[in-house]
Amino acid sequence: MVSSIKHYVSVASCFARLAVQRQLEYPLFLFSWLLMIPIQYFSGIWMLKIIVDRFQPLNGWDFPQLTFLYGLGLISHGIFVVFFINTWSIDHMVINGGFDRLLLRPMNVFFQLIASYVNFIGLIDCIPGIIIFIYGCEIAGFEWSLVNIGKLILVLIGGILIRAAMFTGLGAIAFWTKRNGSMVSFALTMLERATMYPLSMYPYFLQALFTFVIPIGFISFYPAAEFLGTDNGGLELPLSFALWTPVAGLVCFLLASVIFRYGMKNYESAGS
Amino acid sequence: MLQAYWYITKMKLLTNLTYRFEVFTAVATNLILTLASVFLWQTAYKGGSGAVETLTLQDVTTYTILSITLSTIFVCGVQDTIYYKIREGQIVTDFYRPIPLLACYLADDIGDMLSSLMNKALPLIMFASIFFGIPWPASFQSFLLFLPSCLLSYAILWLLSALVGLIAFWVMELGNMGMVKDSIVRVLSGSIVPLWFFPDSVQTVSKFLPFQYTYQTPLGIYIGNTNAGDALTAMSVQAAWIVILFLFLAAGWARTKKKTLIQGG
Repeated sequence: MVSSIKHYVSVASCFARLAVQRQLEYPLFLFSWLLMIPIQYFSGIWMLKIIVDRFQPLNGWDFPQLTFLYGLGLISHGIFVVFFINTWSIDHMVINGGFDRLLLRPMNVFFQLIASYVNFIGLIDCIPGIIIFIYGCEIAGFEWSLVNIGKLILVLIGGILIRAAMFTGLGAIAFWTKRNGSMVSFALTMLERATMYPLSMYPYFLQALFTFVIPIGFISFYPAAEFLGTDNGGLELPLSFALWTPVAGLVCFLLASVIFRYGMKNYESAGS
Repeated sequence: MLQAYWYITKMKLLTNLTYRFEVFTAVATNLILTLASVFLWQTAYKGGSGAVETLTLQDVTTYTILSITLSTIFVCGVQDTIYYKIREGQIVTDFYRPIPLLACYLADDIGDMLSSLMNKALPLIMFASIFFGIPWPASFQSFLLFLPSCLLSYAILWLLSALVGLIAFWVMELGNMGMVKDSIVRVLSGSIVPLWFFPDSVQTVSKFLPFQYTYQTPLGIYIGNTNAGDALTAMSVQAAWIVILFLFLAAGWARTKKKTLIQGG
């Protein structure tokens, strides 16, 4: 057991080193990303500020609280993008036969899929995320106590697991259909709108959908509402959301890996 | 002569119409974006807080739906085309073509635009109408003014895109600067939040930039926030920007040709 864990860790770190080296080969290529991503997210929060200043708090969420939520959603997106971005390209790997390579190696396939590409560039998403979040904490009066930090870490882990589960499930569709189209951009848009903006803006039907069917409300909205004591649209659960988020994350992740495994049985190589 | 361009446009159109599944998800993505944006506005306007504003909720809803629809039609692939052709070195063979290269790329983009009109814009408008009612123009006259203004908008966007594409001839290793330009345009064109809601200082600066004349001008005409007289003035500003950007592009393009020859492929 211990030796196999050691083996997995050494393989993962080797993969990670290769991936980072590969991306740093042309460092200037990062330049356009380094400009684009911060512009995109800072302007997003600026748009919210303009709307709130001009109109009113959005369902009781004023600008500091919106900033907190936006930052929390963005950080969990950023970390997800660093570690799990390969789930976006499962359909490519199925079509061009890259997936067969993973099947030939004597290791867990899902582990290989994830570990083989650590997306160093994803850290760029974390930069505006961390800045906006810390600014949000500052103006929303978030208390940096040990309990809160612990809760925050649990929420982030849970949120990342929920995201990973979603994209793994979507990617697994490709085992049956050979392609899942541009489902990724669809899911990304949905996630952005449901995790970085208050979920309570949407009709009850959508709120219920994003709470009980696809639990993306747990990624940032419910925890943020609990941290700041704002209106969360009326969902009441016993215990803290800081516990519910990791639970939701684990359940989703297990479910997604069952789908993934089941899909792999169905997989026949694209044959080219 | 025009036949050659029409052929390029037609081929692009036909290629795009064969990929149906991609289109389905593209419509779904834009629909999500539309729904989410309109719900955001509905929350902002809730409880009559928008009464002080010049725009009603209906205006803003129409504005948002039309803005996202226009963004699916205004295809400016030219920046990516130039970037990838230079990166792959294919630009050299393209220079052999007996017709002006930029015009070819324009014909390509127009093909994209026509196919998007059919398989992205129309479905989006239809679905959005089911949710929020048909986004009617303020009057028939404003609709008639909206159309030419849109064409001018597209010309500005395309020229900007081509200009940014030219950057690749000098500093290809900086990656695709088109993305950076796009993210700036999205905000300063008023495509997400109309510039009328921005702080006054930003509005003043923006009057001297080309961006607000790409989305806000035609959309303002459509919802009737810009009256007929102002619309004609705005369109002449659009035309002026087209002339300026065209001159820049012509100057830049002449230089790039020399630059490519020096590199030697």
